[in-house]
Amino acid sequence: MDMLRKLRGSNNEGVLALVLLGLIVAMSIANPTFFTLNTGFSILRSAIVPVVLALGVLIVVITGGIDVSFAAIAIFAGYSTVSFCLTLGFDPGLIGIFAIAIGVGAALGFVNGIVIARFNLPTLIVTLGTQGIFFGAMYTVVGASYYAELPGSMAALATSNLLDVETSSGRAYLHVLVVPVLLLCLLVAWALKRTMFGRSLYAMGGDMEAARRAGFQVKRVQVSVYMLVGALAAIAGVIHIVLSRSANPRDLVGGELDIIAAVVLGGASIFGGRGSVIGTVLGVLLVQVMKNSLLLAGVPSAWLRTAIGVLLVLGVGIQAVVARRDSRRIHVNEDLELDQTQEQKVGA
Amino acid sequence: MSPDSKTRPEASATELIALRKANDHIDSWTQRLVRRSGANRGAGRMVVALLAAIALFTVLNPRVFMSPINLQNIAIAAPEIGIIAIAMMIVMLTGGIDLSLVAIANFSAITISTLHTAVAASSPELAESLAILIVAAGVLVGMLGGMFNGFLVSVVGITPILATLATMQIYNGIAIVWTGGSTLYGAPAILGTIGQAGIANVPLLFIIFLVVAALVAVLVNRTGLGRMIQLEGANPVAAHYSAIPRRAVLMKTYAVGGLLAGFAGVLFLARNPTASADYGSSYVLLVIVIAVLGGTNPTGGFASVTGVVLATLTLQVVSSGFTAIRLSSYEYAIAQGVILIGVMILDSVSSSRTKRPRRSAAPPPPTASPVEAASLRP
Repeated sequence: MDMLRKLRGSNNEGVLALVLLGLIVAMSIANPTFFTLNTGFSILRSAIVPVVLALGVLIVVITGGIDVSFAAIAIFAGYSTVSFCLTLGFDPGLIGIFAIAIGVGAALGFVNGIVIARFNLPTLIVTLGTQGIFFGAMYTVVGASYYAELPGSMAALATSNLLDVETSSGRAYLHVLVVPVLLLCLLVAWALKRTMFGRSLYAMGGDMEAARRAGFQVKRVQVSVYMLVGALAAIAGVIHIVLSRSANPRDLVGGELDIIAAVVLGGASIFGGRGSVIGTVLGVLLVQVMKNSLLLAGVPSAWLRTAIGVLLVLGVGIQAVVARRDSRRIHVNEDLELDQTQEQKVGA
Repeated sequence: MSPDSKTRPEASATELIALRKANDHIDSWTQRLVRRSGANRGAGRMVVALLAAIALFTVLNPRVFMSPINLQNIAIAAPEIGIIAIAMMIVMLTGGIDLSLVAIANFSAITISTLHTAVAASSPELAESLAILIVAAGVLVGMLGGMFNGFLVSVVGITPILATLATMQIYNGIAIVWTGGSTLYGAPAILGTIGQAGIANVPLLFIIFLVVAALVAVLVNRTGLGRMIQLEGANPVAAHYSAIPRRAVLMKTYAVGGLLAGFAGVLFLARNPTASADYGSSYVLLVIVIAVLGGTNPTGGFASVTGVVLATLTLQVVSSGFTAIRLSSYEYAIAQGVILIGVMILDSVSSSRTKRPRRSAAPPPPTASPVEAASLRP
């Protein structure tokens, strides 16, 4: 029993991994072309951007908030950096480009953070508002033109592969960006598990007031959380532009819900206090495999939306039912204890 | 009578006194007016905002903005958004949110259009005579969509934002598959007639909007269900101990929300006899902005239908005013965000200012006995 619980993981990561494995096996049986290195690498490639975005969402969800402006921040930071480099006609190199974008993203995140922390406003509604502001500002201030050519260093990165394997069904490429994204996941996982900052996020998600009384600088952490989300979104924005080999201001925005769905499927509680990097990565992979396999199975792409919606209902619904059953059990125990203490008091 | 006019020393000039009296008079008159309409300060604030917006754009471009066609356009565009915003308001009253309302409205419009086209293919006269039934079917579909949301929220226990996020995807996805992603043409002719009709230059659609708003105001403020919805949102724990049937109340709330959204779908068709899966996708943010602007507390318990109606008009005025002074829809998106956050900051600042003195004036009641305190714990 203990063994089973360990496999299940603290946030049902084990269950998620099983579902993912089951899906892959089922798809491979149904359609042998699914189980190839090609498909595997292309799923990994398609998961790169969502994973980075999901890491940001995970962080903010753990604190009990939500951010729907991250996609707008991602494309704002990535697009404006590219636009800036191209119009000035200089190439600051990959590190320079990422640095500029991260700066922009963190600045936009700072706007979110300061409004939310200073005035104690509902995070969903604030970020809904800033989403409109950021997106509108990008169009009116930065511009709306489509860039088919990227700065040299980005263009070079777009075509570099880590692995280049000859298979029976053609060449399979694994993009080099998988490595830094993996490192980023490890870094976030380490920060959440092992640092005081990470502990404060869980504490705030558990109970904001309790965290404040325990001595956490709640407001300051909140601001840095939204800046971090902005920075991660900016990284994802640049990566997205690199992978698509063009800068289109219309990209990414509108796909927020897929990312949030993946994070929630990955076991993060929307009320805060729970969530893990492993679960999040599994959630993103599940959504990507699902998309890929439905397409391969000949399901019209229009059904994808519905499928992700159903997946979300099932994932969250099961969590909600289980959580309620657990909390009922706790409540019963509490009531019993309450009765006992009252009896003692009456007796005394 | 404003309280601080009495404490201030009287000015010697008689005209000043007269002015102040007139001012107080207007003040109390507007206050009474606002209070009589069953509204809270959301409505009062929106009257000011609406007048300010109208004045601003009249000054900036009077020829275009004040033209009868522009004003009529505002009155015709407002109802569909306004009714979805009212639906959002009802759901927000319980402390929830419904992101699927626009998808439901489209679903309803698509249902009506498909049914009409199918019946009209065999006999156009039959389709016209069945128009009311067809429209009712669309509204019913909307209500069913709302009930499914209600089921997920109240019975399964999913957080409203996630439940409706998922159903938004589901309804929208089904609508895309159903229509094949294209726009459907065709709607009962009677809807078009209603869309074009007007009474004394006021579009009929706008009158319908006001009637629906009045009905919802009665539902919220004058019925048992409305009271229970408010109490559920104001304090779920207290509502639970007051034997308010949480599940039934939430179920009915989301059903009413879906019903209103379905009705908004009918108005989509009345304005323009086409239906598509992604019509009005920008409305999702807009209706939340309107609901919050209109004095709806996103954490539940407090809302004003009058405020929401006025907020709808204000945003329509701002939208058409932006067009009149040739600003793009992106600048309008910025304005929406700025208005939303600005109003919330204003609310938070003013509420913390009014709360603080009260808190210091009334010391907390003597601590309850341990037994009582323990039994109060949920």
